[in-house]
Amino acid sequence: MNRSLVVDVLFWCFAAGSVVTGFLVFRTDSMVRAAFWLLASFVGVGAILVLLAAEFLGVVLILMMAGEMLIMAVVMVMFMMNPAGLNPMFMVHQHRFAVAAGVVSFAGLSVVALTVDFPDQPVDPSVDATAELGFELLGDSMLVFQTAGVALLATMVGAIALASRNGRFGTADEGSHEPPLEIEELESP
Amino acid sequence: MGLSAVASRVATRAPVPVFPVAGLGARAAVDDLLVETRLRIVDTPAAANVLLLAGDVPSGLAAELARLHDGMSRPRTSLWWTLGASVRPAIRCPTEVRDPDPSILVDAVVDVHRRLLTGELASSYPQLPDEDAAPWRGIGPYGQGGTGMTGGVPYGRPMAEVAPDRDGLRLDQLTVRIGPFFARFPTGLVLELRLQGDVVQEAQLALPAGDVPMSGVATTPFGDALGVPVRVSVLEVERARSHLRSIASALVAHQLGSLAQRVLRLAGKVRPGDDHEIERLHRVLRRSQVLGWATTGVGHIAPERLEGTASGPILRASGVARDERADDPVYGGLGFEPIVHEGSDARARLAQRLAEARQALELAGRAGELDHDPESPLESPRGRLAAGDLPARRVLPLIPSLLEGMEWGDAVSTVVSLDLDTDEVLALHATDPKVSVP
Amino acid sequence: MAPGVAVVSVAVAMAIGVYAVAVIDGIAGRLVAGAGRRGVGVVLDPPRTVVLLLMQRRHRTERADAQGWALAPALLGGLAATGLAVVPVDRGTAVADPGTGFVVFATAIAFVMIAVFLHGWSPNSLFPLIGAYRYGAQALSLQIPFLLAMLATALPAESLAVMDIVEAQGDVWNVVRQPLGLPIYLMVGVGVGFWGPLNLPDGADLVGGTSAEDAGTDRLAWEVARAAMLFAIAAMGAAVFLGGWWGPLLPGPVWMALKTLCLLVVMVASRHLLARVRIEPFVVACWAVFIPLALVNIFVSGALLL
Repeated sequence: MNRSLVVDVLFWCFAAGSVVTGFLVFRTDSMVRAAFWLLASFVGVGAILVLLAAEFLGVVLILMMAGEMLIMAVVMVMFMMNPAGLNPMFMVHQHRFAVAAGVVSFAGLSVVALTVDFPDQPVDPSVDATAELGFELLGDSMLVFQTAGVALLATMVGAIALASRNGRFGTADEGSHEPPLEIEELESP
Repeated sequence: MGLSAVASRVATRAPVPVFPVAGLGARAAVDDLLVETRLRIVDTPAAANVLLLAGDVPSGLAAELARLHDGMSRPRTSLWWTLGASVRPAIRCPTEVRDPDPSILVDAVVDVHRRLLTGELASSYPQLPDEDAAPWRGIGPYGQGGTGMTGGVPYGRPMAEVAPDRDGLRLDQLTVRIGPFFARFPTGLVLELRLQGDVVQEAQLALPAGDVPMSGVATTPFGDALGVPVRVSVLEVERARSHLRSIASALVAHQLGSLAQRVLRLAGKVRPGDDHEIERLHRVLRRSQVLGWATTGVGHIAPERLEGTASGPILRASGVARDERADDPVYGGLGFEPIVHEGSDARARLAQRLAEARQALELAGRAGELDHDPESPLESPRGRLAAGDLPARRVLPLIPSLLEGMEWGDAVSTVVSLDLDTDEVLALHATDPKVSVP
Repeated sequence: MAPGVAVVSVAVAMAIGVYAVAVIDGIAGRLVAGAGRRGVGVVLDPPRTVVLLLMQRRHRTERADAQGWALAPALLGGLAATGLAVVPVDRGTAVADPGTGFVVFATAIAFVMIAVFLHGWSPNSLFPLIGAYRYGAQALSLQIPFLLAMLATALPAESLAVMDIVEAQGDVWNVVRQPLGLPIYLMVGVGVGFWGPLNLPDGADLVGGTSAEDAGTDRLAWEVARAAMLFAIAAMGAAVFLGGWWGPLLPGPVWMALKTLCLLVVMVASRHLLARVRIEPFVVACWAVFIPLALVNIFVSGALLL
């Protein structure tokens, strides 16, 4: 079978899948389902990126979305206390504004899609696209970005530890104070 | 022979998934079924084909029993292992096994399962009518019984509420009932909980009232010892067995089912003077971390809260050397000294039982022909025992405040570490529906 | 590789892996239980139980999310297959060897939490729901140490392709080069396969957790998918830490199979040797101990390469 035909068919499948699942996000009445439909939509976009030979970007997009959507679903459920959408709820609010924003962004993206002259150069198979992408994005600043990344991670863990209610010396709202030093009394001989 | 016939013949040779319910006087026999390789004891009715009712399941639990039965998947059936009980269970059991020998029971279960799979025995019908838990049809804007986004009883079920969690966030809270057939708890123990995710925010005991026919209850040597002289060696071996069974159920709760089988096998065969076996077990438990990070600091009870409530290993695991045997001249002659552990947590209680099991086998080896005097105070494996003074009655009221703020996994470890006796919990149903909380 | 051949090879590998998990589990369980060698039960019980579960009817709960319930095991199995597909068996022999094979595997691992959450959410029942919430906390804490431990193995190869990572272990295996890596990987692997001491979503304290309402084919599919996941993790561990096909005398694929079996035995046997961990200290340990350790691992292996 012709390879480019396969790629074309796959592209249309993923594209249609992304659009349909994206639409379903707003049609379902359950927060968890909405989050998972959104995840499915992103997976479709990630797959399209892979088809565009941006393997790394596509796979990383899928990787990141898994965790993010799960957190979103859990947090929404726990705060909204409407498990499984037992009472129907709408995923769409501010209808007029939403419709207007949707139409405008659709028109804008359509104009871009129709007017821009997209490059049409197949990637040379001998090029390591992932490595090229890394140099293109970060260049010589790789070390700086990596250091910043680790520093940010440490900061996040530290911030959560500091913000937690249960501190080392009791709960925060009861005043988490370090106990005074106790000096052991020496036994008199 | 058709495909389905071949399939059912193969399937009949698989370990039979059984959900057991231990009634009065049946706990030890049911626990010991874990070692049977032809059965697979499962934790949830959905996974089981055979519901095994053992001993006397009180009629006060009839409604819960019917719900349990209806939670099983098909094909399903129930089997009653009488174990000396005379009152029939509340749900229909097409098969009864009167012999207390476990191997005969296993044969019967395997046979029932075979007949069930080949279609000789009909799968049982639901016990409860298919009706809504609360009226909801046609109520509310969508006819689903709800109001607004978070109100009403959609589809007949109450919705979660919000309440502050331990970090001060307002998150959802579920009000649930766990029991009376929760696989990790003694039969009849019901907890009403408010759960936030994994955390117990509030716990209450709910022991439904009901009559327990105390007749036909299998007696233990400790029950006999209240009235007649019993050999000290018999009592001490029984004590070691009871402690080992308690350790086995703790191992199951800590997901070490195969190690629990080993402990149960040991419990079945210990003889006076077998204390070195326990020594070896102690090393295995330490390595598996059951006597390590899995239980250290879990379920800590402040020693002052145990004053006047708990006795037995729970009290001695908090560092108090109180043991009725210490005042018994017979034990005094054997050189008995109470064992204590420090910590008063699940780890200390497990270690305490293990050490006492070892000590009991040692004492039994030395006791020879000595008898326990029925006039002397009696120390059961769960603490001081006297007529009408059951250890479980003293321990149960501690549970609600103990569980509050715990993760559910720790809550289960804690309840298991208290070693509540099923018979005693069921007996409380009969006499005292409301256990007073001090 | 032709698509048909690829699908069949992954399916066969998965079937062998799942059966291996069942048999190792049975043997380890009997050894620990002291049951002794009792006939052919260990070998025959898994297929018998499969047939029994096929005959058992599925269980339905009130207002369950039927699609989600059916999807969850399929998703988990698909993820195991994806992970397995990028593991090379011999030099130049892999079902798929994309340049980002490492990231594809990591993505499959990350998606496990979606499958488990869906599996616990769908039955609309208490214990599965608690299991689902719990796994959210567990899996999110596992992700970063897992990625960091695996990422370190890509450093010596200077590539994200799994084939290159194995190729770079000709002189010295990564398990020697990065002694911290394999223990972290195995610990996290057991957690991702929610097995034994880290089986918190389906734990004994939740009487089965997310699978508490499963019966028949639901239970079968879930158990099979989970075993396949464990197998995929063991195979990847053998490739990136134990030098994959490298080894004297025996042909490459045999070495690969032996090493996979080794890791599988360690992971599966943990179920019978170690108690269930407590979720709270475990999550704290993930963030406060394993992440720094995994970072140290990366820094050290990076420094050694300079």
